[in-house]
Amino acid sequence: MAETTTLSNPLQEGIRIHRTPNPCAMVIFGASGDLTERKLIPALFYLARERMLPAGFSVIGCARTPATNDSFREKMEGAVKKYLKLSPESDAYVESFGKGIFYIADDFGDPAAYTQLKDALDRLDRERGTAGNRLFYLATPPSFFPVIVKHLGAAGLAKPKFPEASWTRIIIEKPFGRDLASARELNRIVTEVFKEDQVYRIDHYLGKETVQNLLVFRYANGIFEPFWNRRYINHVQLCVAEDLGVENRGSYYEEAGLVRDMIQNHVLQLLSLVTMEPPATFDATSVRDEKAKVLRAIRPLTADQIDEFTVRAQYVEGWVGGKRVPAYRAEPKVSPTSTTETYAALKLYIDNWRWADVPFYLRSGKRLAKRVSEISIQFRRVPHLLFKGVGADGIEPNVLSVNVQPNEGISLKFCAKLPGATMQIRPVQMEFRYGESFGAPPPTAYETLLLDCMLGDATLFNRSDAVELSWELVDPILDRWREQGAKGLAFYQAGSWGPAEADALIERDGRQWYRV
Amino acid sequence: MAGIIEAIGLGEPRLANMADLEGELSALWRSAAEGPAPGYAVTRACTMTLLIYVESDEAAYEVTNLVAEVTRQNPCRAIIMMLDSEAVSSGLEAWVLAHCHLPVAGEKQVCSEQVTIRARGEAGQGLPSVVLPLTVSGLPIFLWWRAGDFSPPPYFDDILRVTQHVIVDTARFSPVGRHLQDLAAWLHKFSGRIQLTDLNWSRITPWRELIAQCFDSPDRRPYLDRLTEVRIEYEQDSARLVTQRAQGLLLTGWLASRLGWEFLMSERREEAQPRTFYFKSAAGRVKVERNLKRVENACGVCFTIELRAEGASPARFSFTRRQDGKVVRTLAEVPGSPPMGRSVRVEVLDEVEILNEELKLGVRDWLYEDALSVVARMIAS
Repeated sequence: MAETTTLSNPLQEGIRIHRTPNPCAMVIFGASGDLTERKLIPALFYLARERMLPAGFSVIGCARTPATNDSFREKMEGAVKKYLKLSPESDAYVESFGKGIFYIADDFGDPAAYTQLKDALDRLDRERGTAGNRLFYLATPPSFFPVIVKHLGAAGLAKPKFPEASWTRIIIEKPFGRDLASARELNRIVTEVFKEDQVYRIDHYLGKETVQNLLVFRYANGIFEPFWNRRYINHVQLCVAEDLGVENRGSYYEEAGLVRDMIQNHVLQLLSLVTMEPPATFDATSVRDEKAKVLRAIRPLTADQIDEFTVRAQYVEGWVGGKRVPAYRAEPKVSPTSTTETYAALKLYIDNWRWADVPFYLRSGKRLAKRVSEISIQFRRVPHLLFKGVGADGIEPNVLSVNVQPNEGISLKFCAKLPGATMQIRPVQMEFRYGESFGAPPPTAYETLLLDCMLGDATLFNRSDAVELSWELVDPILDRWREQGAKGLAFYQAGSWGPAEADALIERDGRQWYRV
Repeated sequence: MAGIIEAIGLGEPRLANMADLEGELSALWRSAAEGPAPGYAVTRACTMTLLIYVESDEAAYEVTNLVAEVTRQNPCRAIIMMLDSEAVSSGLEAWVLAHCHLPVAGEKQVCSEQVTIRARGEAGQGLPSVVLPLTVSGLPIFLWWRAGDFSPPPYFDDILRVTQHVIVDTARFSPVGRHLQDLAAWLHKFSGRIQLTDLNWSRITPWRELIAQCFDSPDRRPYLDRLTEVRIEYEQDSARLVTQRAQGLLLTGWLASRLGWEFLMSERREEAQPRTFYFKSAAGRVKVERNLKRVENACGVCFTIELRAEGASPARFSFTRRQDGKVVRTLAEVPGSPPMGRSVRVEVLDEVEILNEELKLGVRDWLYEDALSVVARMIAS
C-alpha cells in the first residue's frame, strides 16, 4: 500500500468541467431511512453517472435493519430508479453504481460492528482504491449521534488513516441539538473525537443554487454593496413558506415545532448570508467567520420583546391547492391539545454599524398558501416626491427579491412611466431566473453539498459557533412560549398566509408583508 | 424542461443597411411582445454576441435551427455571416429573426435575436463593416467558425481584432493532419489574445476525465510514470472517421504533454492503418498505436483507449464505448487487486450541447494549446 505516496496526478491538471474528489468511501449511518433512499443515494448516483465521483467510490450503509450487501444494493438501486425516474437504458449505470454499495447491520452501540466497519473500509482501500479517505454521514435520529461518534473514535476511525495523505470527515444532519445546552453537549462530544475542520454540519438550504448566488450577487457586482446598509435599506423580510403539513412526521414535529425545524437553522442561515460583512476571501473560514459575527450581532429578545416581536400560531382545517386538509391537531401522531407552533413570525434587529435600526421580519410556516422561500429587501423611499398628483400613488419603494425556491432567481422592482401624455407611474419587475436564463437545471442541494464535503470545502456547512449562536437566539423565545402554554398561541386557516396577529406585527410598524 | 421555440421574423432578406437593421431589431421586439402567444411577457436576455461563419444557404438554415437551441441556455445576439465567395454577382443582404422560448405555461417568454447576413462575391469584404456595428456593446464576442477548415480571409482581421473567443471543430477539417498543423500555427500567432476552443476536443473531455480519474488513487498513480503502450481503436468506415481520427491525435497529444513525453518518431506499419507514434518518457519508450477497426453498422461511436504498463508489475487500463453509444466501461487491472470496472455516461454529445458548454466556460484552455502543439510535431514528422 502506497502510504506515503503523495504524487499529484498530472492528468487532472486543467480538466475544466468537473471537480472530482479524491478516491473515497462514504459510510451512511441510518441507511435504511427515508433520507438515504430519497436524497443521498439518488444524489450520489447522479454524481457517479456524470463522472463527478472518483473511480472506485464506494458506499457502506449501516443501519439496525437486518440486510445483506445484495438486498441493500437492490433496495438502493430501486430507490435510484424510483426517485430519479430512470429509463431502462440507465440500467448499466445503476448496476455499475450498485457494485460499489455494501451493507453492515449495526445497532450503533456494538463495538464489534465498528471493527467490522473498519475491516470493510480497509478492504475497499485494497480492492477499490479508496485510498484511506472516509466520509461518515450521520442520517440517523439525533439521539444516535453521540453514540456513533464515540464508537467511531474508539475504533480509531475518526483519525485519517494515513496522516497527511488521507482524510476523514463527518457530516451531521440537522437538527443539531434541540436547544443550546444539547447543541453544546453534542459539539463537545463531536469535537472530542473529531477536529472541527473534519465536521460538516449540513443544512441543505445552503446547497441551493440561489443561496450561493446570493454571495456572488453581493460580492461579484460592484453596484449592490454600496446600497447594502441602513442608509438605503428600509427593512428586510425573509419568508420560508411550505404548503405541506407535517405529513407523517407528527411525532417529530410535536417535539420540534416550527422554530427548531426552520428558524434556528434555515432562516437564520439565510439571514446571516444576507447581512454578513464581505469576507476577506471566499473560503470556509472567512465566510463562516463573517456569518458568526453577524449572528452574534443579532439583538437578543427580552421576555417583553418576545411578546411584542414574535407570533406563534398553528394551522386549523382549511384548503390547500383545492383540497381540504385537516387541522394540525387532527394530524396523525399529534396531540389534540397540542400547543406546538406550525408558524412563527419574528422581528429582529442587528446591532452593528451596517444594520442598526433596520428591522428584519422573519416568517415561516406549514400549510401556508404556497411553497416559497424568498428574501425581500425593501429600499427606502425616494427622499422627495417630485411626481405629485396624478400617478404619484404608483411610486413604490424598490424591492430586491431573492427567490430561493421554487423558481430560483432574483428580481428588482422599480418604477417606470407608463407611455402616454400624462405622468402615470407604475412599478415594474426586472427578473433574472435561473431556469429561463441558463436553461440547464441547477444541481440539487445534496449533490452540491456531498461533492463539496468530499472536496473538503466547508463553506456551505455550519460551524459549531454558528449553531450555538442560533440556539442562543431562539432558546429564550422557546422558553417564553413554553411558559405561556396555550396562551398566546394564534391560529390560522390552512392555505392562508398565516394568522392576523402576524399581519399586526408588521403593520404596527407601518409596513406590510411582501406578497411572495 | 424543454419548451417550445418560436421563431419570429420580419419580412424578406433585403439589402443590408445599418439603420434599417437597428430599426428592424426594435420592430422585432415589439412584434415578439404582441406575438403569437398573447399573455406572455417578453424577457430579452443577452450574455454575448455570437458570430457564426458559414458558407452556404443550407448551412445558414441549419445553423438557424441550432441557434434556436443555443439561445435557450446562452441568450445572445447571434449574427450569422454567410459568405458565398464563388457567386458571380456581388451583394450584401440581411434579415432579422427572434428565437422565443416558452418554457412552461405561465412563465415568461425569453427571446434572443438573430441577424443573418448573406454576402456574395466581392461584397464579402464588406462583411466586417456590417457585422461590427451590430455587436452588443460591453459583452464578449464569440466567433463560431462552422465552415470546415479554419482559414479566415485577411479581411476577417477586423473581426478577429475584437473577438475574444474563436470556436472551431476539427471534426470538420479535411485533411485533418495538415489543418491541425495550420491551426497550431494560427494559435501560436494569436496566443494569449484570442481563446481557442475546438468542439472536437470538448467531445473527448469526458474521456480525459475518466482516464485521469483512473490514476487518482495513490496505488495507481505510479503506473502513469511507467506507461509503455497506448492503443487507440476506432471505427474504420463511419461518417465520423475524421472526428475520431482527430480525437485520437488530440488524446495522444494530451497524454504526451501532461506526462512529459518527448516525441521521437512515427512509422506506418501497415498501409491500411494510421501511423504509430513513439515517445520517450522518463521510464523509457512509449508506443502509441492507432487501429482502425471494421465494425458492422459503423456509426462512429465505438472507441477504445487502452493504457499499458509492461514490466515486472504489468497493469492495464481500458476505456471502451461500444455501439450503444452512451456507456463507457472502464476496467483497471493492476497486480494485487481484483479487476475493477465501472460504467459511466459518456454520450456522443450533439453540436449544440457541446457549444452550450463551451459558451458557458469561455476560458483559455492551455491544455488544448499544449496538446495541439504536440500534435503539430507528430504530424510534421
